[in-house]
Amino acid sequence: MHATIQKPIEEIVQFIRPGEKVFVIGCNNCAWKCHSGGEDETKAMAERLAKRGVDVVGYTVPGPQGMSLCKLDHTRKVLTQDYAGPVKKADSFLVLGCGQGVHTVIDATDGGMVHPGCDTIFGGETVSETEINEYCSLCGECIIEFTGGLCPMTLCAKSLLNGPCGGAENGKCEVDPDRDCGWIMIYERLSKLNRLDLLKPYQKPKNHAKWSRPRSLKVSPHEATFCSMGGKITVNNQD
Amino acid sequence: MKLGELFDKGEFVVTGEVGPVKGAIPRDENFVPPCVKEAEHLNGCVHAINVTDNQSAVMKLGSLAACVRLRKSGHEPIYQITCRDRNRIALQSELLTAFSLGVDNMLLLTGDHTNLGDHKEAKPVFDLDSVQLVRIAAALQAGKDMADNKLLNAPDFFIGAVVNPNFQPLDLQLMKMGKKVEAGTHFFQTQAVYDDRVVDEFVEKAAKFDRPVQLGVVLLKSPQMGAYMNKNVSGITVPQKWIDEIGSVDKGDRKKKAAEMMGRFIKKHKSKFQGVHIMPLGWSDVVPDILEQAEIRTRHN
Repeated sequence: MHATIQKPIEEIVQFIRPGEKVFVIGCNNCAWKCHSGGEDETKAMAERLAKRGVDVVGYTVPGPQGMSLCKLDHTRKVLTQDYAGPVKKADSFLVLGCGQGVHTVIDATDGGMVHPGCDTIFGGETVSETEINEYCSLCGECIIEFTGGLCPMTLCAKSLLNGPCGGAENGKCEVDPDRDCGWIMIYERLSKLNRLDLLKPYQKPKNHAKWSRPRSLKVSPHEATFCSMGGKITVNNQD
Repeated sequence: MKLGELFDKGEFVVTGEVGPVKGAIPRDENFVPPCVKEAEHLNGCVHAINVTDNQSAVMKLGSLAACVRLRKSGHEPIYQITCRDRNRIALQSELLTAFSLGVDNMLLLTGDHTNLGDHKEAKPVFDLDSVQLVRIAAALQAGKDMADNKLLNAPDFFIGAVVNPNFQPLDLQLMKMGKKVEAGTHFFQTQAVYDDRVVDEFVEKAAKFDRPVQLGVVLLKSPQMGAYMNKNVSGITVPQKWIDEIGSVDKGDRKKKAAEMMGRFIKKHKSKFQGVHIMPLGWSDVVPDILEQAEIRTRHN
Protein backbone atom coordinates (compact mmCIF):
# COMPACT_ATOMS: atom_id res chain seq x y z
CA MET A 1 0.00 0.00 0.00
CA HIS A 2 1.40 3.39 -0.95
CA ALA A 3 1.27 5.77 1.96
CA THR A 4 0.56 9.37 0.99
CA ILE A 5 0.11 12.59 2.88
CA GLN A 6 -1.54 15.67 1.45
CA LYS A 7 0.67 18.59 0.59
CA PRO A 8 -0.14 21.72 2.58
CA ILE A 9 -3.04 23.55 0.93
CA GLU A 10 -0.93 26.70 0.58
CA GLU A 11 1.55 24.76 -1.56
CA ILE A 12 -1.21 23.26 -3.71
CA VAL A 13 -2.82 26.64 -4.31
CA GLN A 14 0.54 27.97 -5.53
CA PHE A 15 0.55 25.32 -8.27
CA ILE A 16 -2.66 26.70 -9.77
CA ARG A 17 -2.53 29.74 -12.02
CA PRO A 18 -5.20 32.43 -11.99
CA GLY A 19 -8.20 31.37 -14.06
CA GLU A 20 -7.05 27.75 -14.30
CA LYS A 21 -9.96 25.28 -14.25
CA VAL A 22 -9.20 22.31 -12.02
CA PHE A 23 -10.73 18.85 -11.75
CA VAL A 24 -9.94 17.13 -8.43
CA ILE A 25 -9.47 13.37 -8.52
CA GLY A 26 -8.72 11.15 -5.54
CA CYS A 27 -8.08 7.46 -4.98
CA ASN A 28 -10.46 5.15 -3.17
CA ASN A 29 -7.81 2.64 -2.14
CA CYS A 30 -4.48 3.64 -0.57
CA ALA A 31 -5.26 7.36 -0.35
CA TRP A 32 -8.61 6.53 1.24
CA LYS A 33 -6.81 4.52 3.96
CA CYS A 34 -4.39 7.41 4.48
CA HIS A 35 -7.21 9.97 4.59
CA SER A 36 -5.34 11.91 1.94
CA GLY A 37 -7.52 11.30 -1.09
CA GLY A 38 -10.58 9.22 -0.30
CA GLU A 39 -14.15 10.33 -1.02
CA ASP A 40 -14.37 12.67 1.96
CA GLU A 41 -10.97 14.24 1.44
CA THR A 42 -11.54 14.74 -2.27
CA LYS A 43 -14.88 16.47 -1.69
CA ALA A 44 -13.28 18.58 1.06
CA MET A 45 -10.35 19.53 -1.20
CA ALA A 46 -12.75 20.71 -3.91
CA GLU A 47 -14.50 22.92 -1.33
CA ARG A 48 -11.27 24.21 0.22
CA LEU A 49 -9.89 25.17 -3.18
CA ALA A 50 -13.11 26.88 -4.19
CA LYS A 51 -13.05 28.82 -0.90
CA ARG A 52 -9.60 30.05 -1.91
CA GLY A 53 -10.77 31.25 -5.27
CA VAL A 54 -9.84 28.26 -7.43
CA ASP A 55 -12.24 27.42 -10.26
CA VAL A 56 -13.03 23.76 -9.49
CA VAL A 57 -14.98 22.24 -12.38
CA GLY A 58 -15.61 18.89 -10.74
CA TYR A 59 -14.30 16.12 -8.53
CA THR A 60 -14.52 12.37 -8.11
CA VAL A 61 -12.98 9.31 -6.62
CA PRO A 62 -13.07 6.41 -9.06
CA GLY A 63 -15.08 3.97 -6.95
CA PRO A 64 -15.93 1.62 -5.39
CA GLN A 65 -13.95 1.54 -2.12
CA GLY A 66 -10.83 -0.49 -2.69
CA MET A 67 -10.52 0.55 -6.35
CA SER A 68 -7.12 2.01 -7.05
CA LEU A 69 -6.65 5.17 -9.09
CA CYS A 70 -3.58 3.51 -10.60
CA LYS A 71 -5.67 0.99 -12.54
CA LEU A 72 -5.46 2.75 -15.93
CA ASP A 73 -8.41 1.23 -17.80
CA HIS A 74 -10.82 2.05 -15.00
CA THR A 75 -9.54 5.58 -14.44
CA ARG A 76 -9.61 6.23 -18.17
CA LYS A 77 -13.25 5.13 -18.33
CA VAL A 78 -14.19 7.35 -15.37
CA LEU A 79 -12.50 10.43 -16.79
CA THR A 80 -13.33 10.04 -20.48
CA GLN A 81 -16.84 8.65 -20.14
CA ASP A 82 -18.46 9.02 -16.70
CA TYR A 83 -17.11 12.53 -16.14
CA ALA A 84 -16.50 13.53 -19.74
CA GLY A 85 -18.36 16.81 -19.35
CA PRO A 86 -16.47 18.44 -16.50
CA VAL A 87 -13.18 16.85 -17.62
CA LYS A 88 -13.50 18.53 -21.03
CA LYS A 89 -13.74 21.90 -19.27
CA ALA A 90 -10.71 21.23 -17.06
CA ASP A 91 -7.30 22.80 -17.73
CA SER A 92 -5.67 20.53 -15.16
CA PHE A 93 -6.16 17.71 -12.67
CA LEU A 94 -5.28 17.93 -9.01
CA VAL A 95 -4.54 14.34 -8.01
CA LEU A 96 -5.02 13.19 -4.43
CA GLY A 97 -3.17 9.93 -4.68
CA CYS A 98 0.31 8.55 -4.99
CA GLY A 99 2.77 9.32 -7.77
CA GLN A 100 1.63 6.21 -9.62
CA GLY A 101 -1.88 7.60 -9.54
CA VAL A 102 -0.68 10.94 -10.90
CA HIS A 103 0.94 9.22 -13.83
CA THR A 104 -2.18 7.15 -14.42
CA VAL A 105 -4.15 10.39 -14.82
CA ILE A 106 -1.59 11.60 -17.38
CA ASP A 107 -2.07 8.34 -19.32
CA ALA A 108 -5.86 8.34 -18.88
CA THR A 109 -6.21 11.86 -20.25
CA ASP A 110 -3.65 11.42 -23.02
CA GLY A 111 -1.19 13.87 -21.54
CA GLY A 112 -3.42 16.14 -19.46
CA MET A 113 -1.80 18.68 -17.12
CA VAL A 114 -1.52 17.33 -13.59
CA HIS A 115 -0.72 18.69 -10.12
CA PRO A 116 0.35 16.36 -7.31
CA GLY A 117 -1.84 16.95 -4.28
CA CYS A 118 0.11 14.54 -2.10
CA ASP A 119 3.61 13.49 -1.21
CA THR A 120 4.09 9.75 -1.68
CA ILE A 121 6.07 8.61 1.27
CA PHE A 122 6.47 4.84 1.55
CA GLY A 123 4.96 1.41 0.97
CA GLY A 124 3.32 0.28 4.18
CA GLU A 125 1.28 -2.14 6.21
CA THR A 126 -2.10 -0.88 7.39
CA VAL A 127 -1.67 -1.94 10.99
CA SER A 128 -4.90 -0.28 12.10
CA GLU A 129 -7.28 2.47 11.04
CA THR A 130 -4.87 5.02 12.46
CA GLU A 131 -1.46 3.52 11.87
CA ILE A 132 0.48 2.69 8.74
CA ASN A 133 4.08 1.50 9.06
CA GLU A 134 6.86 0.86 6.59
CA TYR A 135 8.27 -2.65 6.56
CA CYS A 136 9.49 -2.99 2.98
CA SER A 137 11.76 -0.79 0.87
CA LEU A 138 10.82 -2.33 -2.47
CA CYS A 139 14.43 -3.15 -3.20
CA GLY A 140 13.72 -5.97 -5.62
CA GLU A 141 16.05 -8.45 -3.91
CA CYS A 142 14.30 -9.92 -0.90
CA ILE A 143 16.45 -11.61 1.77
CA ILE A 144 13.92 -11.74 4.56
CA GLU A 145 13.94 -15.55 4.44
CA PHE A 146 17.16 -15.17 6.44
CA THR A 147 15.84 -12.59 8.89
CA GLY A 148 12.53 -14.09 9.95
CA GLY A 149 10.52 -11.92 7.59
CA LEU A 150 11.80 -8.65 9.06
CA CYS A 151 13.63 -6.53 6.50
CA PRO A 152 17.03 -5.17 7.55
CA MET A 153 17.07 -2.76 4.57
CA THR A 154 14.01 -1.12 6.09
CA LEU A 155 14.33 -1.65 9.83
CA CYS A 156 18.09 -1.02 10.14
CA ALA A 157 18.98 2.67 9.81
CA LYS A 158 22.16 1.71 7.95
CA SER A 159 20.53 -1.10 5.93
CA LEU A 160 23.18 -3.52 7.16
CA LEU A 161 22.76 -7.07 5.95
CA ASN A 162 25.13 -9.11 8.13
CA GLY A 163 24.15 -8.08 11.61
CA PRO A 164 24.06 -4.94 13.76
CA CYS A 165 26.59 -2.17 14.09
CA GLY A 166 27.95 -1.49 17.56
CA GLY A 167 25.82 1.56 18.18
CA ALA A 168 22.60 0.21 19.71
CA GLU A 169 21.92 0.88 23.36
CA ASN A 170 19.12 -0.59 25.47
CA GLY A 171 17.79 -2.17 22.31
CA LYS A 172 17.46 1.22 20.60
CA CYS A 173 19.12 2.45 17.41
CA GLU A 174 21.95 5.00 17.72
CA VAL A 175 19.99 7.30 15.42
CA ASP A 176 16.92 7.65 17.65
CA PRO A 177 16.45 6.51 21.25
CA ASP A 178 12.78 5.82 20.49
CA ARG A 179 13.56 3.54 17.59
CA ASP A 180 14.17 -0.17 18.08
CA CYS A 181 17.36 -1.60 16.63
CA GLY A 182 16.24 -3.52 13.55
CA TRP A 183 18.83 -6.22 14.06
CA ILE A 184 17.87 -6.82 17.67
CA MET A 185 14.26 -7.24 16.50
CA ILE A 186 15.43 -9.76 13.90
CA TYR A 187 17.53 -11.62 16.47
CA GLU A 188 14.71 -11.76 19.04
CA ARG A 189 12.26 -13.02 16.46
CA LEU A 190 14.61 -15.72 15.17
CA SER A 191 15.42 -16.74 18.76
CA LYS A 192 11.71 -17.17 19.45
CA LEU A 193 11.35 -19.22 16.27
CA ASN A 194 14.44 -21.22 17.18
CA ARG A 195 15.96 -20.35 13.82
CA LEU A 196 19.14 -18.41 14.66
CA ASP A 197 20.86 -20.66 12.13
CA LEU A 198 19.35 -18.45 9.43
CA LEU A 199 21.73 -15.65 10.43
CA LYS A 200 24.83 -17.70 9.67
CA PRO A 201 25.15 -17.33 5.86
CA TYR A 202 27.11 -14.38 4.54
CA GLN A 203 24.80 -11.88 2.86
CA LYS A 204 26.47 -10.40 -0.17
CA PRO A 205 26.33 -6.72 -1.05
CA LYS A 206 23.04 -5.41 -2.43
CA ASN A 207 22.53 -5.32 -6.15
CA HIS A 208 21.50 -1.70 -6.49
CA ALA A 209 20.88 -2.20 -10.18
CA LYS A 210 17.72 -4.09 -9.18
CA TRP A 211 16.63 -1.06 -7.16
CA SER A 212 17.21 1.47 -9.89
CA ARG A 213 14.24 3.31 -11.24
CA PRO A 214 12.11 3.05 -13.25
CA ARG A 215 11.49 -0.69 -13.21
CA SER A 216 8.79 -2.68 -14.97
CA LEU A 217 7.03 -6.00 -14.73
CA LYS A 218 5.61 -7.90 -17.69
CA VAL A 219 3.01 -10.42 -16.59
CA SER A 220 0.97 -13.29 -17.93
CA PRO A 221 -0.85 -16.15 -16.22
CA HIS A 222 2.22 -18.36 -16.70
CA GLU A 223 5.22 -16.20 -16.09
CA ALA A 224 6.49 -12.79 -15.15
CA THR A 225 9.52 -10.79 -16.24
CA PHE A 226 11.06 -8.16 -13.97
CA CYS A 227 13.02 -5.52 -15.87
CA SER A 228 15.54 -3.23 -14.21
CA MET A 229 19.06 -1.97 -14.80
CA GLY A 230 20.06 -5.30 -13.29
CA GLY A 231 18.70 -7.07 -16.35
CA LYS A 232 15.60 -9.13 -17.08
CA ILE A 233 14.50 -11.91 -14.77
CA THR A 234 11.73 -14.25 -15.92
CA VAL A 235 10.04 -16.56 -13.46
CA ASN A 236 7.58 -19.30 -14.34
CA ASN A 237 4.76 -19.51 -11.85
CA GLN A 238 3.13 -22.71 -13.02
CA ASP A 239 5.78 -25.47 -13.33
CA MET B 1 55.00 -2.44 9.17
CA LYS B 2 52.01 -4.70 9.51
CA LEU B 3 50.89 -5.15 13.11
CA GLY B 4 50.62 -8.87 12.40
CA GLU B 5 54.39 -9.07 12.73
CA LEU B 6 54.07 -7.96 16.34
CA PHE B 7 51.07 -10.13 17.20
CA ASP B 8 52.86 -13.16 15.75
CA LYS B 9 55.83 -12.52 18.02
CA GLY B 10 53.52 -12.45 21.01
CA GLU B 11 54.12 -8.74 21.54
CA PHE B 12 51.41 -6.91 23.52
CA VAL B 13 50.37 -4.40 20.86
CA VAL B 14 49.65 -0.87 22.05
CA THR B 15 47.95 1.64 19.80
CA GLY B 16 46.77 5.19 20.25
CA GLU B 17 44.35 7.31 18.28
CA VAL B 18 44.23 10.81 16.84
CA GLY B 19 41.50 12.64 15.01
CA PRO B 20 42.08 15.06 12.13
CA VAL B 21 40.63 18.54 12.55
CA LYS B 22 38.10 20.34 10.43
CA GLY B 23 40.34 22.08 7.94
CA ALA B 24 42.97 21.61 5.28
CA ILE B 25 46.72 21.27 5.89
CA PRO B 26 48.31 24.56 4.73
CA ARG B 27 51.08 24.47 2.11
CA ASP B 28 53.55 25.90 4.60
CA GLU B 29 56.27 23.21 4.93
CA ASN B 30 56.75 24.11 8.57
CA PHE B 31 53.13 23.65 9.56
CA VAL B 32 52.57 20.63 11.79
CA PRO B 33 48.97 19.38 11.67
CA PRO B 34 47.40 19.20 15.15
CA CYS B 35 46.95 15.44 14.96
CA VAL B 36 50.63 14.99 14.16
CA LYS B 37 51.52 17.26 17.11
CA GLU B 38 49.33 15.06 19.29
CA ALA B 39 51.06 11.97 17.98
CA GLU B 40 54.43 13.31 19.19
CA HIS B 41 53.32 12.48 22.75
CA LEU B 42 52.91 8.86 21.71
CA ASN B 43 56.47 8.49 20.41
CA GLY B 44 58.14 5.39 21.73
CA CYS B 45 55.18 4.17 23.76
CA VAL B 46 52.74 2.94 21.10
CA HIS B 47 53.27 0.68 18.14
CA ALA B 48 50.78 2.41 15.87
CA ILE B 49 48.19 5.16 15.81
CA ASN B 50 44.60 4.98 14.56
CA VAL B 51 43.39 7.94 12.52
CA THR B 52 39.62 8.42 12.58
CA ASP B 53 37.45 8.82 9.46
CA ASN B 54 34.99 11.71 9.79
CA GLN B 55 34.27 10.40 13.27
CA SER B 56 30.69 10.77 14.51
CA ALA B 57 29.79 11.76 10.96
CA VAL B 58 31.37 15.17 11.48
CA MET B 59 33.20 16.30 8.32
CA LYS B 60 36.95 16.55 8.90
CA LEU B 61 40.22 16.37 7.03
CA GLY B 62 40.46 12.90 5.50
CA SER B 63 41.98 10.11 7.53
CA LEU B 64 44.26 9.21 4.64
CA ALA B 65 45.88 12.65 4.45
CA ALA B 66 46.58 12.51 8.18
CA CYS B 67 47.95 8.95 7.86
CA VAL B 68 50.40 10.07 5.18
CA ARG B 69 51.60 12.97 7.33
CA LEU B 70 51.95 10.68 10.35
CA ARG B 71 54.10 8.31 8.31
CA LYS B 72 56.21 11.20 7.16
CA SER B 73 56.79 12.05 10.81
CA GLY B 74 57.91 8.51 11.62
CA HIS B 75 54.68 7.08 13.06
CA GLU B 76 52.86 3.92 12.01
CA PRO B 77 49.28 4.84 11.07
CA ILE B 78 46.19 2.65 11.15
CA TYR B 79 43.81 3.94 8.48
CA GLN B 80 40.21 3.90 9.67
CA ILE B 81 37.69 3.69 6.86
CA THR B 82 33.92 3.58 7.24
CA CYS B 83 31.09 2.47 4.99
CA ARG B 84 29.06 5.61 5.62
CA ASP B 85 30.39 8.02 3.00
CA ARG B 86 31.58 5.89 0.07
CA ASN B 87 30.13 3.30 -2.27
CA ARG B 88 31.91 0.03 -3.15
CA ILE B 89 33.84 1.58 -6.01
CA ALA B 90 35.25 4.33 -3.81
CA LEU B 91 35.95 1.94 -0.92
CA GLN B 92 37.99 -0.45 -3.04
CA SER B 93 39.80 2.46 -4.62
CA GLU B 94 40.55 3.97 -1.20
CA LEU B 95 42.05 0.71 0.05
CA LEU B 96 44.33 0.49 -2.99
CA THR B 97 45.20 4.17 -2.60
CA ALA B 98 45.98 3.89 1.11
CA PHE B 99 48.31 0.96 0.57
CA SER B 100 49.95 2.77 -2.33
CA LEU B 101 50.61 5.78 -0.09
CA GLY B 102 52.45 3.60 2.40
CA VAL B 103 49.72 2.57 4.82
CA ASP B 104 50.01 -1.04 5.98
CA ASN B 105 47.22 -1.30 8.56
CA MET B 106 43.50 -0.68 8.13
CA LEU B 107 40.52 -0.67 10.45
CA LEU B 108 37.28 -1.34 8.54
CA LEU B 109 34.12 -0.04 10.21
CA THR B 110 30.43 0.47 9.55
CA GLY B 111 30.59 4.10 10.69
CA ASP B 112 28.37 6.33 12.78
CA HIS B 113 25.13 7.32 11.07
CA THR B 114 24.96 10.64 9.21
CA ASN B 115 22.18 11.62 11.56
CA LEU B 116 24.69 11.96 14.43
CA GLY B 117 26.93 14.47 12.72
CA ASP B 118 26.95 17.99 11.40
CA HIS B 119 25.63 17.21 7.92
CA LYS B 120 22.37 15.53 8.84
CA GLU B 121 20.87 15.88 5.37
CA ALA B 122 23.70 14.03 3.66
CA LYS B 123 22.93 10.73 1.98
CA PRO B 124 24.09 7.88 4.20
CA VAL B 125 25.80 5.56 1.72
CA PHE B 126 26.29 2.17 3.51
CA ASP B 127 26.58 0.49 0.11
CA LEU B 128 28.59 -2.15 1.96
CA ASP B 129 28.53 -3.25 5.56
CA SER B 130 31.71 -3.94 7.55
CA VAL B 131 31.59 -7.71 6.94
CA GLN B 132 31.33 -7.21 3.18
CA LEU B 133 34.11 -4.61 3.30
CA VAL B 134 36.44 -7.02 5.11
CA ARG B 135 35.69 -9.71 2.57
CA ILE B 136 36.41 -7.32 -0.27
CA ALA B 137 39.65 -6.14 1.33
CA ALA B 138 40.74 -9.77 1.59
CA ALA B 139 39.83 -10.27 -2.07
CA LEU B 140 41.92 -7.24 -3.09
CA GLN B 141 44.83 -8.77 -1.20
CA ALA B 142 44.31 -11.95 -3.16
CA GLY B 143 44.57 -9.94 -6.36
CA LYS B 144 40.98 -9.42 -7.45
CA ASP B 145 38.37 -6.71 -7.03
CA MET B 146 34.84 -7.58 -5.98
CA ALA B 147 33.67 -7.78 -9.57
CA ASP B 148 36.27 -10.51 -10.02
CA ASN B 149 38.61 -8.40 -12.15
CA LYS B 150 42.32 -9.08 -11.76
CA LEU B 151 44.41 -6.33 -10.16
CA LEU B 152 47.66 -5.27 -11.76
CA ASN B 153 49.30 -5.26 -8.33
CA ALA B 154 47.67 -6.55 -5.17
CA PRO B 155 47.91 -4.58 -1.94
CA ASP B 156 49.20 -6.31 1.18
CA PHE B 157 47.75 -4.90 4.36
CA PHE B 158 46.74 -5.99 7.84
CA ILE B 159 42.98 -5.93 8.22
CA GLY B 160 41.33 -4.86 11.45
CA ALA B 161 37.69 -4.69 12.50
CA VAL B 162 35.76 -3.56 15.56
CA VAL B 163 33.60 -5.39 18.07
CA ASN B 164 31.52 -3.87 20.86
CA PRO B 165 31.58 -5.89 24.09
CA ASN B 166 28.91 -3.58 25.56
CA PHE B 167 26.33 -4.63 22.96
CA GLN B 168 23.29 -6.50 24.25
CA PRO B 169 22.45 -9.17 23.30
CA LEU B 170 26.18 -9.97 23.20
CA ASP B 171 25.60 -13.17 21.22
CA LEU B 172 24.28 -11.13 18.30
CA GLN B 173 27.39 -8.92 18.24
CA LEU B 174 29.54 -12.06 18.45
CA MET B 175 27.62 -13.62 15.56
CA LYS B 176 28.74 -10.65 13.50
CA MET B 177 32.29 -10.93 14.89
CA GLY B 178 32.30 -14.52 13.64
CA LYS B 179 31.26 -13.33 10.20
CA LYS B 180 34.08 -10.78 10.23
CA VAL B 181 36.55 -13.54 11.12
CA GLU B 182 35.26 -15.73 8.28
CA ALA B 183 35.47 -12.77 5.92
CA GLY B 184 39.19 -12.38 6.64
CA THR B 185 39.73 -10.05 9.60
CA HIS B 186 43.24 -10.29 11.01
CA PHE B 187 42.73 -8.47 14.31
CA PHE B 188 40.08 -6.69 16.38
CA GLN B 189 39.89 -3.55 18.45
CA THR B 190 37.01 -3.34 20.90
CA GLN B 191 34.77 -0.35 21.42
CA ALA B 192 35.50 1.36 24.73
CA VAL B 193 34.70 -0.70 27.80
CA TYR B 194 34.55 0.47 31.43
CA ASP B 195 32.81 -2.45 33.12
CA ASP B 196 34.78 -5.43 34.51
CA ARG B 197 31.89 -7.85 34.02
CA VAL B 198 31.44 -6.77 30.40
CA VAL B 199 35.13 -7.44 29.77
CA ASP B 200 35.04 -10.87 31.35
CA GLU B 201 31.89 -12.04 29.57
CA PHE B 202 33.26 -10.84 26.24
CA VAL B 203 36.67 -12.49 26.71
CA GLU B 204 35.09 -15.81 27.56
CA LYS B 205 32.76 -15.83 24.57
CA ALA B 206 35.16 -14.38 21.98
CA ALA B 207 38.01 -16.81 22.78
CA LYS B 208 36.74 -19.25 20.15
CA PHE B 209 37.58 -16.84 17.31
CA ASP B 210 41.32 -17.12 17.79
CA ARG B 211 42.19 -13.66 16.51
CA PRO B 212 44.25 -11.04 18.36
CA VAL B 213 42.01 -8.60 20.18
CA GLN B 214 43.02 -5.23 21.60
CA LEU B 215 41.01 -3.92 24.56
CA GLY B 216 39.68 -0.52 23.58
CA VAL B 217 39.60 2.22 26.23
CA VAL B 218 38.48 5.85 26.05
CA LEU B 219 40.10 8.21 28.55
CA LEU B 220 37.46 9.63 30.88
CA LYS B 221 38.47 13.27 31.21
CA SER B 222 35.62 14.68 33.30
CA PRO B 223 32.25 13.76 34.80
CA GLN B 224 30.59 15.90 32.13
CA MET B 225 32.30 13.86 29.46
CA GLY B 226 30.96 10.68 31.04
CA ALA B 227 27.43 12.07 31.06
CA TYR B 228 27.85 13.33 27.49
CA MET B 229 29.06 9.97 26.22
CA ASN B 230 26.20 8.17 27.90
CA LYS B 231 23.74 10.52 26.23
CA ASN B 232 25.31 11.04 22.80
CA VAL B 233 27.94 8.52 21.86
CA SER B 234 26.58 5.32 20.45
CA GLY B 235 27.73 2.04 21.92
CA ILE B 236 29.61 3.37 24.98
CA THR B 237 28.33 3.21 28.56
CA VAL B 238 30.22 4.90 31.38
CA PRO B 239 29.29 3.51 34.82
CA GLN B 240 28.39 6.01 37.54
CA LYS B 241 31.34 4.99 39.73
CA TRP B 242 33.76 6.11 37.01
CA ILE B 243 31.92 9.45 36.67
CA ASP B 244 32.01 9.89 40.45
CA GLU B 245 35.70 9.07 40.71
CA ILE B 246 36.85 11.50 37.99
CA GLY B 247 34.53 14.08 39.51
CA SER B 248 36.11 13.64 42.95
CA VAL B 249 39.24 15.67 42.08
CA ASP B 250 39.80 19.32 41.14
CA LYS B 251 40.06 20.20 37.45
CA GLY B 252 43.80 20.65 37.78
CA ASP B 253 44.25 17.08 38.96
CA ARG B 254 42.05 15.45 36.35
CA LYS B 255 44.77 14.40 33.92
CA LYS B 256 46.56 12.54 36.67
CA LYS B 257 43.36 10.98 37.96
CA ALA B 258 42.24 9.99 34.46
CA ALA B 259 45.56 8.29 33.79
CA GLU B 260 45.38 6.50 37.13
CA MET B 261 41.86 5.19 36.50
CA MET B 262 42.64 4.07 32.98
CA GLY B 263 45.98 2.54 33.99
CA ARG B 264 44.33 0.59 36.78
CA PHE B 265 41.64 -0.77 34.49
CA ILE B 266 44.11 -1.79 31.79
CA LYS B 267 46.45 -3.43 34.30
CA LYS B 268 43.55 -5.45 35.67
CA HIS B 269 42.54 -6.84 32.27
CA LYS B 270 45.64 -6.78 30.07
CA SER B 271 46.43 -10.46 30.48
CA LYS B 272 43.12 -11.33 28.83
CA PHE B 273 43.96 -9.48 25.58
CA GLN B 274 46.68 -9.33 22.94
CA GLY B 275 46.96 -5.57 23.16
CA VAL B 276 45.31 -2.33 24.16
CA HIS B 277 43.91 0.47 22.02
CA ILE B 278 43.89 3.81 23.84
CA MET B 279 41.62 6.64 22.67
CA PRO B 280 42.84 9.71 24.57
CA LEU B 281 40.50 12.21 22.87
CA GLY B 282 43.14 14.91 22.62
CA TRP B 283 44.98 14.09 25.87
CA SER B 284 47.70 12.08 24.14
CA ASP B 285 50.22 13.60 26.57
CA VAL B 286 48.67 11.42 29.27
CA VAL B 287 49.22 8.12 27.42
CA PRO B 288 52.79 7.50 28.67
CA ASP B 289 51.48 7.88 32.24
CA ILE B 290 48.58 5.50 31.56
CA LEU B 291 50.97 2.86 30.25
CA GLU B 292 53.26 3.31 33.21
CA GLN B 293 50.36 2.84 35.64
CA ALA B 294 49.29 -0.22 33.64
CA GLU B 295 52.86 -1.51 33.78
CA ILE B 296 53.12 -1.80 30.02
CA ARG B 297 56.37 -1.22 28.23
CA THR B 298 56.57 -1.50 24.48
CA ARG B 299 59.81 -2.88 23.07
CA HIS B 300 59.44 -0.35 20.33
CA ASN B 301 62.14 1.20 18.17
